[in-house]
Amino acid sequence: MSSRVGLNWIWQSAKAMIVTGKHLFEPRTTEGLRPAESRAPRYRASFALVHNEHGEEACIGCKLCEKICPSDVITVVGGPKELSEATGKKRGTCTDFVLDLQACIICELCVQVCPVDAILMVREQEVPGYSREDLVLTMDKLYANEHDKALYWGSGSALMEMQNPKKEASS
Amino acid sequence: MTEFPPRVDPHFDIEEYDPEADLMALNMGPQHPSTHGVMRIKLFLDGETIVKAVPYPGYLHRGVEKLCEKLTYVQITPIFDKHDYVAPMTNEQAINLAFEKLLGLEVPLRARVLRTILAELQRIASHLLWLGTFTLDIGGTIGGGASMMMYTFREREMILDLFEALTGCRFHYNTHCPGGNRHDVPEGWETVVKAVLDAIEPRFDEYEALCDNDIFLVRTEGIGVLPPDLALELGQTGPVLRASGVDHDLRRDAPYHAYDLVDVRVAVDDGCDSLARYKVRVAEMRESVRLVRLLLPMLPQGPIVGSKPIKSLIQFKAAAGQVYVGMETPRGELGTYLIGGGDQRGAAPYRCKIRPPSLHAMAALPYLLPGHFLSDVVTVLGSLDPIMGEVDR
Ligand code: SF4
Ligand code: SF4
Repeated sequence: MSSRVGLNWIWQSAKAMIVTGKHLFEPRTTEGLRPAESRAPRYRASFALVHNEHGEEACIGCKLCEKICPSDVITVVGGPKELSEATGKKRGTCTDFVLDLQACIICELCVQVCPVDAILMVREQEVPGYSREDLVLTMDKLYANEHDKALYWGSGSALMEMQNPKKEASS
Repeated sequence: MTEFPPRVDPHFDIEEYDPEADLMALNMGPQHPSTHGVMRIKLFLDGETIVKAVPYPGYLHRGVEKLCEKLTYVQITPIFDKHDYVAPMTNEQAINLAFEKLLGLEVPLRARVLRTILAELQRIASHLLWLGTFTLDIGGTIGGGASMMMYTFREREMILDLFEALTGCRFHYNTHCPGGNRHDVPEGWETVVKAVLDAIEPRFDEYEALCDNDIFLVRTEGIGVLPPDLALELGQTGPVLRASGVDHDLRRDAPYHAYDLVDVRVAVDDGCDSLARYKVRVAEMRESVRLVRLLLPMLPQGPIVGSKPIKSLIQFKAAAGQVYVGMETPRGELGTYLIGGGDQRGAAPYRCKIRPPSLHAMAALPYLLPGHFLSDVVTVLGSLDPIMGEVDR
């Protein structure tokens, strides 16, 4: 097999060193964990629940996200219907919302189906926790994320708009 | 006509082997760094030479096919990202092609061209990962081994950045849905793609320079010779088949997506060995770059989803019927066989069977390994490029 003898190896080694030498002057290859600001605008990682324009908790407890989640990690407990002070209409409420990030596959389906844009994704990656509970996003944590972390570009209606822009043309 | 070594019988009884010989049974894996996942090969060694090899897959079984019977059409796409974790984009496309055929959905041209571009970019990314790990596997001898991996991962990172800009995820994108794509191209994406291709293309020359490196040639030339008749018998597809001299590529022979709009040049090599498989993959990367360049200006305006966008769990209901769709992923023909749920199961399929190209590549191992040295196992395994997640599903 190794019948290739001769001084060929000098040229081959030189060639390898040329490639290596060229890369010596290029920018670094490895980077650390990049901060959220340098990520693409669409980067999605963790979740937040948001308030609507009237300052109410936007989630109406419709459980659509719970049903569509492929990994069954969302649990929504719906509350009684309440009269909204801002609009004067009755709307559903949500008393508890738990999202277990441990099995979430970041598929964005829950965001896409939400009819009132209540659940959004944030661009900051979830950091590892010291216990399993650290990775379970409770309602308090989700509402805190609304202010603490950078929300991403999209929402249920933004995704719809992107996928079905026909409505805009007809109106 | 090249002479091929006589075919080995992978099932021969090891008890019948020369009783004088100093036989040793050695388990390679399940946690071996070069097995691309978790897989065990039981090797019978006579000295340093392999006499018999028995692969044992199954360590990464996650029950994707069973899961598909429980989930609805809408929910399956993100699950499918997971079985070939090196090329998730093409997995998604494969299952959505099957859905579209079963449900009778039209895909708009914009989505079709976009899917083609994504598939070709994914092919480059997947082959780059293969090249990096392959050279790492076969030796700390090739420029330190690890430096090649650094180079290829740097290029792959650029492509993953493109995917991140488009879909928001570096991996496991969930960017396809039955009837189209979920994410439209962001502004200025095409220019970034062109810039990335310009940066990547000259680097292929550096990868091809490996072809006249003695160490690399000695490690790959004549190692793992897979004759064309055996390749066809074992159901090989993709680069493994094309490196055995069989000119077969679904992109050209049975076009899906927008491949009928372009002229795909298929890379074929009749070396049949590990070196040929390396050559075919590098040539395929070049071809992919050319195809993306051709397709980018073709991206028409218009909608990206043919049906209604996903809004509910049971949006798509299929009658009972069965379809098979084959698609050329970076590893070969990924076939999806789907039986519709009919009236009882509504929006969930009755059965979903995946035909993974990696499983068939694995089937070649017992034929290829006997007669080689122990150190050649990683070369053969690496050149076949099986992804264990796909083998076991
Ligand atoms: S992104 Fe996570 S929580 Fe939302 S539907 Fe997907 S798996 Fe469930
Ligand atoms: S987050 Fe949205 S989809 Fe989920 S229960 Fe609340 S309103 Fe419904």
